[in-house]
Amino acid sequence: MVSALRLPSLHLTNLFSSSPCISRRSSAILRRHHRLRPPPTLTAGFSAQSAASSPPETDDKVVEIEKNRASQDRGNRERVITPRSQDFNAWYLDVISNAELADYGPVRGTMVIRPYGYAIWEAIQDYLNVKFKETGHSNMYFPQFIPYSFIEKEASHVEGFSPELALVTIGGGKELEEKLVVRPTSETIVNHMFTQWIHSYRDLPLLVNQWANVTRWEMRTKPFVRTLEFLWQEGHTAHATPEEAEKEAMQMIDIYTKFAYEHTAIPVIAGRKSKVETFAGASRTYTIEAMMGDKRALQAGTSHNLGQNFSLAFGTQFTDENGQRQHVWQTSWAISTRFVGGIIMTHGDDTGLMLPPRIAPIQVVIVPIWKKADEKTGVLSAALSAKEVLQKSGIRVKLDDSDQRTPGWKFNFWEMKGIPLRIEIGPRDVSSGSVVISRRDVPGKQGKVFGISMEPSILEAYVKDKLDEIQSALLERATSFRDSNIVDVSSYEELKEAISMGKWARGPWSASDADELKVKEETGATIRCFPFEQPQGNKTCFMTGNPAQEVALFAKSY
Amino acid sequence: MAGGGEKKSKANATGGGKKKEVKKETGLGLSYKKDENFGEWYSEVVVNGEMIEYYDISGCYIIRPWAMSIWETMQKFFDAEIKKMKIQNCYFPLFVSPTVLQKEKDHIEGFAPEVAWVTKSGESDLEVPIAIRPTSETVMYPYYSKWIRGHRDLPLKLNQWCNVVRWEFSNPTPFIRSREFLWQEGHTAFATKSEADDEILELYRRIYEEFLAVPVIKGKKSELEKFAGGLYTTTVEAFIPNTGRGIQGATSHCLGQNFSKMFEIIFENEKGEKAMAWQNSWAYTTRTIGVMVMVHGDDKGLVLPPRVASVQVIVVPVPYKDADTQGIFDACTATVETLCEAGICANMDSRDNYSPGWKYSHWEMKGVPLRIEIGPKDLAKNQVRAVRRDNGAKVDLPRSSLVERIKELLDEIQESLFVAAKQRRDACIQIVKTWDEFVEALGQRKMILAPWCDEEEVEKDVKARTKGEMGAAKTLCSPLEQPEIPEGTLCFASGKPAKRWSYWGRSY
Repeated sequence: MVSALRLPSLHLTNLFSSSPCISRRSSAILRRHHRLRPPPTLTAGFSAQSAASSPPETDDKVVEIEKNRASQDRGNRERVITPRSQDFNAWYLDVISNAELADYGPVRGTMVIRPYGYAIWEAIQDYLNVKFKETGHSNMYFPQFIPYSFIEKEASHVEGFSPELALVTIGGGKELEEKLVVRPTSETIVNHMFTQWIHSYRDLPLLVNQWANVTRWEMRTKPFVRTLEFLWQEGHTAHATPEEAEKEAMQMIDIYTKFAYEHTAIPVIAGRKSKVETFAGASRTYTIEAMMGDKRALQAGTSHNLGQNFSLAFGTQFTDENGQRQHVWQTSWAISTRFVGGIIMTHGDDTGLMLPPRIAPIQVVIVPIWKKADEKTGVLSAALSAKEVLQKSGIRVKLDDSDQRTPGWKFNFWEMKGIPLRIEIGPRDVSSGSVVISRRDVPGKQGKVFGISMEPSILEAYVKDKLDEIQSALLERATSFRDSNIVDVSSYEELKEAISMGKWARGPWSASDADELKVKEETGATIRCFPFEQPQGNKTCFMTGNPAQEVALFAKSY
Repeated sequence: MAGGGEKKSKANATGGGKKKEVKKETGLGLSYKKDENFGEWYSEVVVNGEMIEYYDISGCYIIRPWAMSIWETMQKFFDAEIKKMKIQNCYFPLFVSPTVLQKEKDHIEGFAPEVAWVTKSGESDLEVPIAIRPTSETVMYPYYSKWIRGHRDLPLKLNQWCNVVRWEFSNPTPFIRSREFLWQEGHTAFATKSEADDEILELYRRIYEEFLAVPVIKGKKSELEKFAGGLYTTTVEAFIPNTGRGIQGATSHCLGQNFSKMFEIIFENEKGEKAMAWQNSWAYTTRTIGVMVMVHGDDKGLVLPPRVASVQVIVVPVPYKDADTQGIFDACTATVETLCEAGICANMDSRDNYSPGWKYSHWEMKGVPLRIEIGPKDLAKNQVRAVRRDNGAKVDLPRSSLVERIKELLDEIQESLFVAAKQRRDACIQIVKTWDEFVEALGQRKMILAPWCDEEEVEKDVKARTKGEMGAAKTLCSPLEQPEIPEGTLCFASGKPAKRWSYWGRSY
């Protein structure tokens, strides 16, 4: 229907290009190619309207959908997810499509962030926005358009970004006098303004942040991970001394690290980027690197010490306490919607999405189960009161009381959506005043506990406790996965082997930029960072045999 | 630099000139008076109040923290309210392909002249230029078509907070008319028309009246003024007495089935029949902030309503020679702490390189609702002096009951700003019945309420007949609360039987 929207000029290989059209009747929108699959088959012996109260029947393996319903229902057809182990990329796209996190945008490489995906972004925003304000930063908004001449001012910056710039040349039916850049990042405009706002040391530090969209005309795109337009926050600060700027850059990477660990259960490795990988225009770039389920690295957040690079280029000066004119020292730091991709790829499994409780838009789903009409009222009112109890105590809870779907269908659906906890309430539970609680992260009977009292204080305490337990369990699991896939290497051969096995390699490194590029060319791996946490003792560079100060972490990355 | 140098340099020039002029007193102040030169006063007050910075691209402005926090306050309120209404947030791309943009004919006629186009990526030309969203109907509705299949998929209620771009050439004004602005745009789809009548307009009224203390009138737009491609448009209209211009505060459009027809938003209803969805879209923008500045600001600068002020109380130490400076500073710090603990946004200006007088002017310029001064006498009496920004009233408050009294004062300020603004607005409303009265009232810059036949041709005719240097008159809205129309009342402009009362005037 609207396939004409594609840009024929951009014919390089990219993941989106083969079907970016928003075809109304295409059910597999996020796929690279349409796959025909039979609808899920009916598993014998499962009675859809019974479930939780009779344990043997609720084994998750048996939970399936009635064939006739499935065949009419688009929702069920879409719920087939490629196993993660079979094809990680296809799995990722399936999860995004089925869990309704995002859809392809009308222009190649853009995406529509659907409410469920956006709610995860909002959870990220809510946390970080508070942290930024606690550390003295104010929000503001810079224009999206930057005169091309601004971008050119910082030489390495323009070199790094110019191939990816989207340029506006026509506005209101007229050719513009100067072409305008759709911001890829805002350092240049920020510096242009800082130059006007900063006069003396009393105006420093200047600490601002903005939540905005940015555009980078990338060729290889992937939803959340790399899109032409994405959402992010970008912090920009100016300081009187290099020490203060360094402290700020470190403070922000610490905030990101804590956020990743404590809220998203992602055990990132924080460290410093190599010179080759440093942000265009920065003196030093700090990063948090996360290991995805396919063991590739994802740069999940960065904080740059910009030194005086931009202030020299833009003449951003202040008068110090001695009346001397000085250039300011700056930082910038950002986290983007890419982080949502990181959450999906860290925790998801064959069933679908798995969300850490602290970031989950819905933490608990309640599924009422009834067979006969006369059971319905009792079950629903018990479910409703459980919902109210949990809601009151600040838990994000959803009651799925629709009678269009069977409990089995609902179990599958909410598991696929990654809800950490499920509460099942059937007629027997109502009479015994208890509920059944299942964990998303522990499949089958093992993750299921019967007979949790509906007594508000007990239920609330139990659920809170379980959510905390899941949060730690996810972090633990991801940490042990990460640690078992990092290999300490002492020679280039060992590195090659580790990388070829898909693992990360960690080894002492003091070789040249050229050597670093050689590693990239020969193995596909790059230096992700020099981790802040370094092993003790003397080190010898595995590449050159020279003494080395630090170990570096190598991996293939997104 | 690019196109907009003119406005910028003007602002800079005025800023520079003014500084020299009043430097002797405080180094602060405005060189224009609100009543004498409103346009220049406004440009100056948004810059000196640190709300806006002009930028090298004409019509693009930097929203500084002082204004951004006001936007965030409104956003927090509105976002929570729409979530209660089960409206979900999402985000659609900035980029629109020309084909979808052109899908709805009336719609594109309305927006095409204002679109900004991306034509290059890096060094290479795009084969098809890509538009930057001026609004997102055409971006979103192909997806509504895809996502909506059965009646169970309805209602679909989405909202997004984002920036939009309209490359207009008419006189750009910060907040009021800028080429890029921030807004929320809500887009809802329903199975029936009756569901599509929404309550959003009431939230917009609350933003203006309860937060910004700006009185608005809820009404319906005329055929000529409604949203391009929609069925009808409802609005909250504000009025700027100084310029005698109405200003559209926020709008909610009933799109009917027009867009669902174009974009094939078709669902199967309970009877198994195909039906087209009924749609609404609604938005408010950063213009809200500009209206607030215009309505409340005075010759000393901004006047912020307490509910949106990021600093509600500014505490200034007033140490005279030989006074107990430390004691005064300690009292100030303690006062700020007490107020902050009680949930009042208080700050202390402890800078040692500015005099108290300079600080008074500075915070008056920024519009902080309440100033607290603590000097030696206050210290001795264990009291503080509170000075209201809105009317300059001074009152001494004992520190023992500070929190309650400050809360009362802030509420009073909020209330009296609204009352005063409403009085000024109401004084501008003139009821007319004839063309002569209309012309006279228009000359007096009134907001005119007149009986109207509600015919498009007549509005066009009024526009043509009032065309002049100050711009033509048009309908602002027909108020939802209609005064009675006695039998035989005639339209002020056409002499035909009047169908309804409408507000008329010049407008932004």
